[in-house]
Amino acid sequence: MRTVRIPLAIRIPAVVIVFMAAIAVFISERVLTRLQEAQTRHLGDLATVYLDGLAPALVAPVVREDVWEVFDIIDRARQTHADLKPMETVVASADGRVLASSDPRRHPSWSPLPSSFLAERTTAPTIASNETEGRAVARRDLSSGDRIVGSVHASFDITPLLAERRSVLMTLIGTNAALTLVLALTAWLTVRRMMRPVRVLASHLMASPEGPVEPIPETLVTTAPREFRGLFAAFNRMAEAVREREALSRHLAEEERLASLGRLASGMAHEINNPLGGLFNAIDTLKEHGERSDVRKRTIDLIDRGLKGIRDVVRTTLVTYRADRDARSLQRADIDDLKLLIEPEIRRKGLVLQWRNEGFDEVRVSPSVVRQVVLNLLLNACQATPPGGQVSLRATVEDAHLVATVEDSGSGLSDSAHDVLAGRRDQAVSASGSGLGLWMVRRLVREGRGTIAVTPRLPKGTTIRVAIPFAREEGLADVA
Amino acid sequence: MGHPGQTRRDVVSCIAALCTVAGTRRAAASQPELRFGLTPVFLTSDFELLDRLRSYLEDATGIPVRLVTRRTYQEITSLLLSGQLDAAWICGFPFVANHPRLALVAVPHWQGKPLYRSYLIADRDRQVESLDDLRGDVHAFSDPDSNSGWLVTAAALARRNLSPERFFGQTIFTYGHRNVVRAVASGLAMSGSIDGYVYEVMRETEPDLIARTRIVRQSDLLGFPPVACPASAADDPRTKRLRSALVGMGDDESGRTVLRTLRLDGFAVEDPSLFDPIAAEVAILRRTAG
Repeated sequence: MRTVRIPLAIRIPAVVIVFMAAIAVFISERVLTRLQEAQTRHLGDLATVYLDGLAPALVAPVVREDVWEVFDIIDRARQTHADLKPMETVVASADGRVLASSDPRRHPSWSPLPSSFLAERTTAPTIASNETEGRAVARRDLSSGDRIVGSVHASFDITPLLAERRSVLMTLIGTNAALTLVLALTAWLTVRRMMRPVRVLASHLMASPEGPVEPIPETLVTTAPREFRGLFAAFNRMAEAVREREALSRHLAEEERLASLGRLASGMAHEINNPLGGLFNAIDTLKEHGERSDVRKRTIDLIDRGLKGIRDVVRTTLVTYRADRDARSLQRADIDDLKLLIEPEIRRKGLVLQWRNEGFDEVRVSPSVVRQVVLNLLLNACQATPPGGQVSLRATVEDAHLVATVEDSGSGLSDSAHDVLAGRRDQAVSASGSGLGLWMVRRLVREGRGTIAVTPRLPKGTTIRVAIPFAREEGLADVA
Repeated sequence: MGHPGQTRRDVVSCIAALCTVAGTRRAAASQPELRFGLTPVFLTSDFELLDRLRSYLEDATGIPVRLVTRRTYQEITSLLLSGQLDAAWICGFPFVANHPRLALVAVPHWQGKPLYRSYLIADRDRQVESLDDLRGDVHAFSDPDSNSGWLVTAAALARRNLSPERFFGQTIFTYGHRNVVRAVASGLAMSGSIDGYVYEVMRETEPDLIARTRIVRQSDLLGFPPVACPASAADDPRTKRLRSALVGMGDDESGRTVLRTLRLDGFAVEDPSLFDPIAAEVAILRRTAG
C-alpha cells in the first residue's frame, strides 16, 4: 500500500489543529459541566428558598382546603419572586389533587396533579430539569407535625440558563477556533521558515541529475540557521568533489576514446599479421619447391586464402564501422582456413590441436564475424596454454545457431578476461594484448546477437562456447 | 470638645424637649381613643388612604383614632356588638341582621345616592347572560356576611328554591371584593358576586384586572354599606363627633381628598329604612332555609 506523504508544512499545523481541538473539546466539556452543575445548584437553591418560603404559610390553608387563601399566597409569591421566574406554582392536597395553582385555567382546583410535576414524595425539596422543554420542576412536601398534608410544586423557566450555557459554548467554540487558527498559522509559518534551508538543499540536490552540481551560494550559507550551516558546507564539499570527479571522468573518457582507436588499429594489425606469417611461409615454400607443381598449386591456394583472410579482416573492420554485412554465407572451409592460420603458432609452442568442424556445409551467418571470433579465441587459447598443452576447436550447428567451442589446458581465464567476455568491462586491455582479442570477440558476438559462455575445463583449462544465430533472409548484403 | 459648657447646655435642652414630647404622648394616650372598624366594603389595601382617613378623623373629632381591620366581616361585627369598637364601616347585611343592637352613624353617598348594586361577574370570554347560566360554576363570594358579595346571589337562588352549595359546583370565599375580581380574572373561579361600587372603582384603579371580567347581571339598588355603632352608644358625644366629622368630610380639604380617593360624594344621615330591601332578602333566605 502506498502512503501519501503530506508535507511537514501541512502536517505540523494539522497536528496543532487536532491537538488544540482535543484540548478545546476537553476544556469545553469541563467548563460546560461545571457551569451546568453551578446552574443546577443555583436553581436548586432558588427553588428551595422559594418553596421553603411558601411552605409555612401554606400548611394551614391546605389543611383547611381553603382554595382562595392558597391561591392568594402563591399569587402574591409569584409577584414578589419576579426575578426567579417560577412559571407555575401548584399546591396539591395529600391525595394528589390540585388545591390551587398560579394558573387556575391550566390547572383548575380539584383536578389531578399534572404528570409534568414530580409525583414522588420527598423529604427534602427536589428539583428535576427537563432541558428539551426548557423547564425544571421542584417539589416540596407540606407537613404538619408528622403528617404530610400536601405538596407545593413549582416549575421554573430554565431557558435563560440554557441560553447562557449555549452562549458560553459559542464563546468557547469561537475562542478556541480563533486560537487554533492562529496557532496553526503560526505553526505553518514557523515550519515553512524552518524548512526553507531544506528546500534550498533539495532544489540543489534535484538539479544535480540534469545539470552540474551547483554549490549553495555563500550568502545563503551564512544566513542559514546554525544547524544547517554545517549541512550546507558538507553539501558544498560534496558538490566540489562531484565536480572534480566529473572533470576526471571526462578526461578518462577522452583517453578511453583514444585507447579504443589504438585497440582497433592493434586488432587490425594483429589480424593482418596472423596470415602474414603463413603467407611468408608459403612464399618460402614457393622459393624452395616452386618447381613442383603440386606444391606450387597448394601454396598458391594457401596464399590466396591468406590474402582473402587479410581482405576479410579489412572487410570485418569495414563491417564493424560501416555496420554492413557479408554478402555470402559461412562455409565450412571458412573455418577450416583458420587451421592454416593457427598452425604456425601451434607448431611454435609445440601444442596439440584437435579440430572438429562438421555438421554443416553452409549456414547464414557472417563468415568474417565467425572467423574473427574463432581465430581470436584460438590465438588466445594458444597463448594461455603452456608448451605441450592441448587446444581444441569444435564447430557445429545446433537449433539454428552456429556453435563454436574452443578449449585449452591453460591456467584458466583471468577475472579481467572473464569480465571482458561477459561484457562487464570494456577497458581491460592487458599489456600482452590477449585482452584485446577477447574484447573484439565480445563485440562481434554481440553484433551477431550471439551468446558467450565461459566454463572451467577439467582438470585444467577453460571452455569458451560461442553461439551465433542464423541471420534472416534479408540480413546479408554485399560489402566488397 | 473645646466648649464643654455649651455641650452641657445642649444636653439639658435636649432632655427637656424629650420630656415635652413624652408628656404630649401620655396626654393623648390618656384620652380614650376612638376605635373605628373597617371591613373590605372598600379598598382596605390602600394604606395611604387609611392614613389619610385616620388623620382626618382625628383632626375632625379631636379624638385619637385607631383604625381596626379584620379579615372577615363577622369579626368586625362581633367586635362592634361586644363594644370593643366605637363604630365600624360595615355592610348592610350585618346591619340589618343585627338592627336593634346597631344604630346608623352615617351612610356614604355614591353617584349622588346612598345606594349601590351587587354585580354578578364572570370571565370576559364567557357567553353567559343570567344567573341561570352560572349553574355548576366555581363561584367566588366575597364574604358570608356581605350583602353584595353573598346575600344578593343567595337570595336570588333562594327565590328559585336553591342554595349556593347546590347550584354552584364549588364556592369560594375570598374575604374581599377585590379578591373576587382576582379569582375570576385568574380563572380560579368562573364567576363571582361582588360589590358594584368596588367593581366600578377598580375599573379606574385596576383596569387591567377588570378588563378580564365582565358583568353578567346587576342587582336592584340597595342601601350602601353604612357606618354603624352599637345602639347603646348612638347618642354618645363621641359618636356625634364622629357623625359630624363624617358628614362634614366634604367641607374639609383633607376630607375631600379622602372622598375623592374613595370616589364617594360624601356621608349623610339616613333613615334605617334605607336597608329594608336588604332586610327583605334576608327574610327570603330565612324562609327558604327554614
